[in-house]
Amino acid sequence: MFLTAEFSDAPSVGAALRALKAGGFDAAQMDVFSTEPVELPEGLLERPSHMSLAAVAGAATLGILAILFVRYTQYDYPLVTGGMPLFSWWATGVIFYEFTMFGAIFTTFATFLVESGLLKRRRAIPDPVLVAGRIQVRVCCDAGRAATATECLQRAGALNMVES
Amino acid sequence: METTVEMRGDGLRSALWRPLNGLSRAYLLALAVAFLVGAWGLGCWGYQIVRGIGVAGIRRPTMWGFYLVNFVFWIGISHAGTLISAILRLTDAGWRKPVTRAAEAITVFALMIGAAFPIIHLGRPLVFFWLFPYPNSRLLWPNFRSPLLWDVTAISTYLTGSVIYLYLPLIPDLAELAQHATGWRLRLYRLLSIGWTGSDRQWHSLERAMKMMAGTILAVAVSVHTVVAWDFAMAVAPMWHSTIYGPYFVAGAIFSGIAALVVAMSVIRKVLHLENYLQPVHFENLGKLLLLMSLLWVYFTVSEHLTTWYGNSPAEMRVFGERVRGRFAPYFWFMVLCNFVLPFVLLSIRRLRSVATITIAGVAVLIGMWIERFLIILPTLSRPHLPAAAGFYSPTWVEISITASTFAAMVMFYLIFCKLFPIIAVWEYKHVSHG
Repeated sequence: MFLTAEFSDAPSVGAALRALKAGGFDAAQMDVFSTEPVELPEGLLERPSHMSLAAVAGAATLGILAILFVRYTQYDYPLVTGGMPLFSWWATGVIFYEFTMFGAIFTTFATFLVESGLLKRRRAIPDPVLVAGRIQVRVCCDAGRAATATECLQRAGALNMVES
Repeated sequence: METTVEMRGDGLRSALWRPLNGLSRAYLLALAVAFLVGAWGLGCWGYQIVRGIGVAGIRRPTMWGFYLVNFVFWIGISHAGTLISAILRLTDAGWRKPVTRAAEAITVFALMIGAAFPIIHLGRPLVFFWLFPYPNSRLLWPNFRSPLLWDVTAISTYLTGSVIYLYLPLIPDLAELAQHATGWRLRLYRLLSIGWTGSDRQWHSLERAMKMMAGTILAVAVSVHTVVAWDFAMAVAPMWHSTIYGPYFVAGAIFSGIAALVVAMSVIRKVLHLENYLQPVHFENLGKLLLLMSLLWVYFTVSEHLTTWYGNSPAEMRVFGERVRGRFAPYFWFMVLCNFVLPFVLLSIRRLRSVATITIAGVAVLIGMWIERFLIILPTLSRPHLPAAAGFYSPTWVEISITASTFAAMVMFYLIFCKLFPIIAVWEYKHVSHG
């Protein structure tokens, strides 16, 4: 089951999250919904990400593929170069650079879509409707721990609470 | 079907969403004029396709004319958004918030317009896709050693990156708008917001992606205008074959980009009544940046011309002479007036600095930078190494019409964008900061 509590400010949300963590809930069970990003104290709601790694991997992959492709095309149809090398690292440098950047851009965007869950079409439960100026905290818990979660949220100053 | 965005919530949202509703007479008139001029330009391009590239004024030896001037100019303008927005985002400049989206939109539209010019310039534009590497019946591959192929790669990367960079921070606004819109707007916003719920996981991902994109796009933006500069610098032509052309072009691009941003912001501030959000302090800060870039531009221009003059190479001195005291001299000195004298006077004297004067400086810089692109291309081509091969260029009505239509297209795209999407990112403006 899910408990969703509404708060009016970020410090109350911080207090609620701290109370929930002290009550034995972990970050994976909690979600915060808002119309603007809420800055919380560091370490309170860690969301691990592989975006940087994915971007570097994407950049390297596309960059190397670009070099291989340019090399292949230049040997596949050898132009008359007057004794100059068919494949030139200097001239390929720009293509390599741009494709490396393209790889980074593309994988950053793709990783954003995956990590933010935007690609998930089917959601287990409907997400709360965003209300301007309000911050909602949702906790996933079993029926046995609902009372603890409710107490944590109420103590932190929840304006109202919904069970789903 | 009537579609609206219901005004609900706080004053900020009401103010920033207000421009999305209703169509004023002035707006419709501006849109109609821009559309007509744009359509006229498209018609002229059609005429050129049917009659051949000979209807343009490009003749041997000046095989690059207005079209390439416009190409370099618009690619330069495109540096307004993504580059400036990325720098401000990476340095966490608080005043950037109402500025970034207006800037990012300029980038996307200017790039679209700029990228069209090499195609317009082609003798056979309908086969432009031959530039792309795909297996074909001709058994040919594009020549990747050519700077023109570098352009294709660089601009494609920059355009893709800029569209994503504009789109990412739009998603939260679109999701919120979808809650308040009706009719086709509701469907549009819902489709584009791709299921944004505003969860902290999504905010974390968005902020991380924006930071990474800002870093990457900065590197791409610098490379794009460097590659455009290399279109010229790689040719062993008088006053083109220069080592400082890359940074010179990048500085010029940022300079003209800031000027375009100042002018666009000034217009939307007035037309969309956003005086409370686009405040004098934003113009003041951009004015200071514009002044800095003006000084940098002078530094590069002097470096470029002084070394040429001191070298005293006959071929280079012919071009130099054409620029500073020959047929192109009036344009050259007018450019100096627009790019340095006027901005320096208007922006360095504190008492003179206001929204109006900063806008005037911006307009002057835009005119000056267009002339600069003209002066980079034409004097060199009309005075090549062989004195006997000298020639002259004068644009035809077709080229002038197509040039005018690109400015109209920019206005039209911008007007439509401002009606569909909030020009100031609501969530960025209101970013809660309770660390």
